[in-house]
Amino acid sequence: MMQERFSFKKGNRARSVFRICNGFFLAITMICVILPLIKICVDSIDPTSYGIRLILHKIDFSAYESIARNSFMYKPFLVSVFTTITGTAIGLLLTTMAGYVIIQQDMPGHKAIVSMIFFTMLFNGGLIPTYLTVKFLGLMNNYLAVIIPVGLSAYNIILMKSFFETIPPTLFEAAEIDGCSPFSVFWKIVLPLSKPALASVGLFIAVSIWNNYMNFILYIPNPDMTNFQVKVRELILSDGVSGTAITVGQDMLKSAVIIVVIFPFLLIYPFLQRYFVKGVTVGAVKE
Amino acid sequence: MAKKTFVNGIKKYKWFYLMFLPVFIAFLIFNYIPMVGIVLSFFEYTPFGRPVFIGFENFRTLFSGHSFWTAFWNTLCISLVNLGLGLFCAVGLALLIDEIHSPFYRKLIQTINYIPHFLSWVVIASVFTMILSPKNGIVNGMLQLLGIKPIYFLADEKWWRTVFYCINRWKETGWGTIIFVAAIAGVDQNLYEAAVIDGVNRIQRVFFVTIPAIANTILVVFILDLAKVLNIFDPVWVLQNPLVQRVSDVISTYVYRIGIDNADYGLSTAAGLFKSVISVVLVTVANQASKKIKGEGLL
Repeated sequence: MMQERFSFKKGNRARSVFRICNGFFLAITMICVILPLIKICVDSIDPTSYGIRLILHKIDFSAYESIARNSFMYKPFLVSVFTTITGTAIGLLLTTMAGYVIIQQDMPGHKAIVSMIFFTMLFNGGLIPTYLTVKFLGLMNNYLAVIIPVGLSAYNIILMKSFFETIPPTLFEAAEIDGCSPFSVFWKIVLPLSKPALASVGLFIAVSIWNNYMNFILYIPNPDMTNFQVKVRELILSDGVSGTAITVGQDMLKSAVIIVVIFPFLLIYPFLQRYFVKGVTVGAVKE
Repeated sequence: MAKKTFVNGIKKYKWFYLMFLPVFIAFLIFNYIPMVGIVLSFFEYTPFGRPVFIGFENFRTLFSGHSFWTAFWNTLCISLVNLGLGLFCAVGLALLIDEIHSPFYRKLIQTINYIPHFLSWVVIASVFTMILSPKNGIVNGMLQLLGIKPIYFLADEKWWRTVFYCINRWKETGWGTIIFVAAIAGVDQNLYEAAVIDGVNRIQRVFFVTIPAIANTILVVFILDLAKVLNIFDPVWVLQNPLVQRVSDVISTYVYRIGIDNADYGLSTAAGLFKSVISVVLVTVANQASKKIKGEGLL
């Protein structure tokens, strides 16, 4: 964009008014996004908070304390942490391997492999057949049933492949001439060169495992093994539709669990932002 | 000779096959074996008995039932309105963000607006159940200041869909702009200069230069979203309750209710199969349309 002077002189006036209104409007969109979260945050530490009040009058961390004290609250949180970390590692490993395999154009069966991955984006067996497959293979109450379908998706494989295609092929050839096996090429060249891709796809996988609710409901019937999302849902629904007869203490606890479940993400978000923007735009914007 | 090169090729790439093996097994278990399970739609099958072949009986039950068609039309209506609003808001917001010149302010707007995309639907439903609560919620608090009686937004058939669309926009609008902001930044500057020489004003520039230039990107996003139209599940599932089932039930929630809650596996699989087939048709049609319009398909 051309640099333009900001002034209220004739000719520039309409433009300047527009720019002020625009800046103001976008500020309102930010407030709309952030206000509900701030309200929940205030509600979680101020027992006297109600309705439209947004200012803290009292600070009281007892809701957080009760989460940290009760094992039925903190155990699901630890399950969430554990499944997210292991799931992201497994998912990233599978995704990168699949991406590396499908950039091998000359490999016999290349077309079949690509079609096999692609077809899963088009068509699936549906809820009940998948549920029964997991059941009959004895994967109920096994975290693999939660981690794998979320961690390994055709979309992420294709994303990874587009990243790998930006690595100059001469690098692979040089490594092969030096006698590197495909595994060491993968480990020593491909992975170190695609750190931004790993960060970007890793973030997507981690977020979707952390946020997963449905797979836990379906495949993890054991209440001791459930994750924090399921716990949050249970707690919020514990007194029927949109809160009839909520006592304030319960409201505080509900707000606190919401803050606890989004906090880890807000912590890493600023560091990873530049990677995921790349993850979304790579290959999607065609000139 | 041809056979020999094939065998040599396999030998040369043996490590790659080994690398693909775990991925292959994962796809087999979670995607391809379930596809075989589709035959269940021709059986009567519950957890309490052996499957009995009944031909097309499940489909007959399905298509003659009232609730299935309610779910079907609800799905189309909710998803398409959601898709249209989503594209409109995302393109609009991207155009406005592009007019911000201060890099810091621009970054701030984007950073804040992306946040809700990363929150789970469970969290979002929880947040809005509290925000919209008729007793303690901030929204009804404001309405009360204006002298309006509290509204049960999520339990009122009149309000549910409006609220649903708003919550969806709250979550995804910011995220949706990423791709359009990138596309707008990629528009050839010469086009703008030529337009200025032709005496085109600011607003005309948006409609005659920017939007046509990013039309391809809009089309790509539209087609990719269209493919997912019938799959809408999580947002409806977490915001739904029995009081608003008539206006909110969609195919996926219907499949879940019949299959998991009522354990009628055959009927549920049939409904799911119907959904998948229509989805494939939609994607194919969209892809053909894209071929017609811009000369190349997406798939």
